[in-house]
Amino acid sequence: MTRPKADLLQGTLDMLILKALSLGPLHGYGIIQRLRQLSDELLEVEQGSLYPAVYRIEQRGWISSKWGVTETGRRAKFYTLTKAGSKQLTAEEESWDRLALAIAKVRKAV
Amino acid sequence: MEWHNILRARLRALFRRESVLQDIEEELRAHVEMATEENLKCGLPPDAARAAALKGFGNLGRNTELGYDIRGGGWLETLWQDLRYGSRMLFKNPGFTLVAIITLALGIGANTTIFSVINSLLLKPIPFPEADRLVLVWESRVNNPEDRTIASAPNYWDWRRHNDVFEEMAIFDSAGKGYDLSGEGELERVSGVRVSAGFFDVLGVKPRLGRTFLLEEEQPGKHQVVVLSDGLWRSRYNSDPAIVGRTIKVDGENHTVIGVMPPEFEFQFFGPIRQLLTPVAYTKNDQDRSSHSFLCLARLKQGVTMDQARARMNAIGLSLAQQYPDANIGKTVKLDSIIEFGVEDQRMTLLTLLAVAGFVLLIACVNVANLLMARGAMRSRELAIRAALGASRARTIRQLLTESLLLAFAGGLSGILIAIWSGSLLLKVLPGNLRAIPFRSINSTDGLAVDYKVLAFTWGVTCLTGIIFGLAPALIFSKRNVNEFLQEGSRGTTSGGARLRQGLVVLEVALALVVLTGAGLMIQSMARLLSVAPGFDPHNVITLNISLPQENTYVGPPGHPQFAHNLQEHVGSIPGVVSVSAVSHLPIGGGGAGRGFVIEGKPDPGSENQPGAGYRVICPNYFRTMGIRLISGREFVEQDSQNAPGVIAINEAMAKQFWPNEDPLGKRIKLGLFSSDTPWLTIVGIAQDVKQGGLDRRPFPTFFRPYSQAAWPTMTLVVRTASSPGAFINPIKQALARFEPDRAASGIRTMDEVLYDSVGSRRFPMTLLVAFSLVALTLAAVGISGVVSFSVSQRTREIGICMALGASKGHVIRLVLNRSMAAALIGMVAGLAASFGLTRFLTGLLFEVKPMDPVVLGFAALILTGVAFIACYLPARRATKVDPMVALRLE
Repeated sequence: MTRPKADLLQGTLDMLILKALSLGPLHGYGIIQRLRQLSDELLEVEQGSLYPAVYRIEQRGWISSKWGVTETGRRAKFYTLTKAGSKQLTAEEESWDRLALAIAKVRKAV
Repeated sequence: MEWHNILRARLRALFRRESVLQDIEEELRAHVEMATEENLKCGLPPDAARAAALKGFGNLGRNTELGYDIRGGGWLETLWQDLRYGSRMLFKNPGFTLVAIITLALGIGANTTIFSVINSLLLKPIPFPEADRLVLVWESRVNNPEDRTIASAPNYWDWRRHNDVFEEMAIFDSAGKGYDLSGEGELERVSGVRVSAGFFDVLGVKPRLGRTFLLEEEQPGKHQVVVLSDGLWRSRYNSDPAIVGRTIKVDGENHTVIGVMPPEFEFQFFGPIRQLLTPVAYTKNDQDRSSHSFLCLARLKQGVTMDQARARMNAIGLSLAQQYPDANIGKTVKLDSIIEFGVEDQRMTLLTLLAVAGFVLLIACVNVANLLMARGAMRSRELAIRAALGASRARTIRQLLTESLLLAFAGGLSGILIAIWSGSLLLKVLPGNLRAIPFRSINSTDGLAVDYKVLAFTWGVTCLTGIIFGLAPALIFSKRNVNEFLQEGSRGTTSGGARLRQGLVVLEVALALVVLTGAGLMIQSMARLLSVAPGFDPHNVITLNISLPQENTYVGPPGHPQFAHNLQEHVGSIPGVVSVSAVSHLPIGGGGAGRGFVIEGKPDPGSENQPGAGYRVICPNYFRTMGIRLISGREFVEQDSQNAPGVIAINEAMAKQFWPNEDPLGKRIKLGLFSSDTPWLTIVGIAQDVKQGGLDRRPFPTFFRPYSQAAWPTMTLVVRTASSPGAFINPIKQALARFEPDRAASGIRTMDEVLYDSVGSRRFPMTLLVAFSLVALTLAAVGISGVVSFSVSQRTREIGICMALGASKGHVIRLVLNRSMAAALIGMVAGLAASFGLTRFLTGLLFEVKPMDPVVLGFAALILTGVAFIACYLPARRATKVDPMVALRLE
C-alpha cells in the first residue's frame, strides 16, 4: 500500500484533496493541477498517491464521484465534496492549525 | 452513512468486479492522456510526453488492482476469496473432503434428529389459546402432597361453585371411551370422551359449525347430542356442511350432531386424539363423592397467579374435608400447569439422548480436527509461503477457519438430510409414552417437522462444530514461520502437532467409551427386562377390545348379561380356538382400576385407613386362557351368575398381604365400608401374580370379579389359539358380529405384541444409544487408524533406518503400537472416570442394572480396546512393508 510522500504528513493529503474540492468539482488530474497552483508550484502530488487517497476518501463518504466531460471534451471522473466532506475538512483544518500553532510555539521557545 | 457507502461499494465490487476494474482503468487512462496533452503543450515530443505522464504512475495494472483493493477489497471480498480458495482446496482433495463431510454429517445429523424429536414433542405448543392459564386440578392428600387423584364429580361441583380464581372449570372422563358408530356407513370405532358443558370455554375453543353442550345436557336423558372433531367430520361424513341437526347412531343409540370442532382442535390426554365429544351425562355412580373418574381442567382468571389459586383451592379442599369426612377426610387439592404436566420424564430421556448425540458430535469433531492436522502438515509449505508473502497470522487463521466452516456447513446440510430421513424412521418406533404427552399429540403422518427452530439449532451446532474442530489446527499451523518451516520442513513434522494428535486419540477413546457404556447399560436393562417372567403365557394369544356400555360399574349388574355365555358359544366354537375369555384390564398394557374393601371378621379400619386393591372383572376361563397358574380354588364358571352368591378370586400378593398366615379360600370381603349395602363376596380361587402394570413393576394385590356379577364398560377379549393367532382375527370378528352387531372390535394385538410394545419406552432410547455407540465406535476406529497411519508415514525414514539396522517386523510393529495403544489406554482410563460421573443420568432408564455395572463397563472397555488395537495394528503392519532403501532415499 503506497503512502503519501514523506514530505506530506499522513492524513495531510486527505485534507488537501478535500480543500481542493471545496472550491468546486474536479477530476483526478485537476486535483493535482489545482494543488500545484494553490501551493505556488511547491506541492507536486504523485498520481500513485492521489488515487488510493481519493478512493479511500470516497469510501468514507466525504466525496462523491460522477463521470462527466472536461472543457476540452474529454470523458473524466469528477469528484465533488459532500456535506460530510466539508464538515471533515473544517475539522481537519482546525486540528492542523492547532498542530501548526503548537509546533510554532515549541520552535520559538528554543 | 459511512458504513452504508462502504457496504454498497463493496457489494458492487464483489459482484461487479470487472466493472469496477474498468472504471478505475478508464479513470487512470484519462488522467494519463490529460497529462500527455499537457506535456505536449510544454513542447515535449509525443513519445516523451506520454512516457513522462506514465512515469508518475508506475505500473498501471498494479495501480488498477490497488485501486480495486481500496474500493472493494474489504472483509467481504476477503471472505469471498477465502471461500473460493477453500472450496478449491476441498475439491482438490476429494477423499479428505468426503470423509470429513460424512463424519460431520453423522455427528450433526444425530443431534438434529434428537433435537427435531424434542422440538416436535416438548417444544410443540399446546393447541389452546393462552395455555399458560390452563391448570389441571386434582384431589390430593394433606400428608402426601405429591398424590394426584382424579376428581369425583360432587367435589368438582363444589370447587366450581366456591372458587373465585378460575374463569371456568370443566371435567372430562379420565379414561376416555371408545364409541361405536353404526347406521349409515360401516361400523366404526372411534375414540371419544365425556366432557362437561364448560369444557370448550376452559380450553378457549369455539366450534366451526353449530354449538357445544348446554348445562342441561350434562344430565342423563338430555345427553343424546354429540360434537364431532374436524377429522371425524371429514372422514366419516364427507365434510357435510349440513351435518348439524343430523341424527347418527352412537353405540346403537340415536344421537344428534350439534357441532363440529375446527381442524386445529386436538384433544388428547394419555391416549389417542379424541374424535367424538359427548356430554358428561352423570351416571348414578358418578354422583358418588368417593367415586373418582374425572380429570378437572380450569382456566385461571386474568392476573391470578398459580400460588394464589393454590392457596384458594387448598382452603376449599380443607373445608370440603370437614363437610364430607366420609369421602374427603385428609384430602386437599393440587394444581398443575398443563404446560409442565407430564413432560418431566420425557424431557430427561430426550435430553440424555441429546447429550449422547453431543458426544458423538465431539468424536466427529476430534476426527475432523485430526484430518485437518494431517493435512495441515502437508500444506505447511503453502502456509509458509503465504506467511513469507506477508499474510499475517490472523489472516491465515481466518483463511483456515473459513475452510473449516465450509466443511462444517457441507456436513450440516448433509446432517439435515440425515435428520429428515432418520426422523421419519424414528417416528414409526416412537413409544407410546412419547407419542402421547398430554395435550401434545404427534401425528405420525406429519413426520417430524424440520422447522425454523430445528434449522436454527443445526446452524448453531454447525458453526460451533466448525470452530471446535478448526481452531486447534488453525492456531498451530498459523504459528509456524518461514524459518521454522525451512528447518523442519524436510522432516515435515512438528512435535507440537504430534502431541496434539495423541491427545485427540485420548479424547476420542474416552468419549467413545462413555457412549458405549451407556448403550451397554441400556442393552443389559432390556435383556433383564425381557427375561422377567410375566406370570402368564403370552404365546398364541390374541386380544381385542370391545365396548359394552354399562350403567353401574361399581357393583354391576351387567347390561349384557349373556355376554360371557355368547362369547363361549360363538367364539369358543371357532375351530382352532383353545380357550376364550375377557378381562376389564389386560395385564401389562391395559391400565387398571382399584377398589376399597373391608374384610369380614376383622376390626373396622375406618374410612381413612380402608384397605384397597387392584380390581379386575373377568369372564370364565380367564386364568386358563392367559396361562395364569391357579394356586388353589377354582376359576369362575357360568354358574356364578347374577343371582348366585357373590364370588371373587384374588392373586398371591393379595393373599399374602391380607391373609398372611391363613388360607384365604372361603373368606369374605365387601366393597366399600362395613356400613355399605353391597353384598359379601366369597374368595373361591387364588391365582399366580401377574406383572399387571408392566414387566418392570411389582405385582400388587388384586382381586377379580365375574363379569356376570359386576360388568365393566370396556372388555378385552383374550383368545388362546392352537396356531399362529393372526389367522383368527376375521373369524373372531364375524363371531362377535353375530351377538353384538353394534360393537366394533378395536386394538387388535397379540399378547406377544402387547409385551413388545410395553418395553417401547425403554427400547426407544436403547435403540438410539446403540446406534450412537456404533457411530461412535466407527468414528473412533477411523480416527485412531488415521492418526497411526499418519504418524507411520511421517516416520517412514526412522522406520527404514531401524529396518536397515536389522530390526525385525515384530519390533517395528511394537514400536508403532506401543505409542498409539498407550494413548488409547489413557483414553480408556479417562473414559472410565467420565462414565462413573455420567452414567448416573441414565438411572431412570435402567432396570435392575446399576449405572456403574462392572460387567458392562468391562465389556465396553474390552470392545473398545479390541477396536483400538485393530485400528492401530493395520497401519502398523503397513509400516513393516517399508523398503529400507526407498525410505532412506525418500528425502
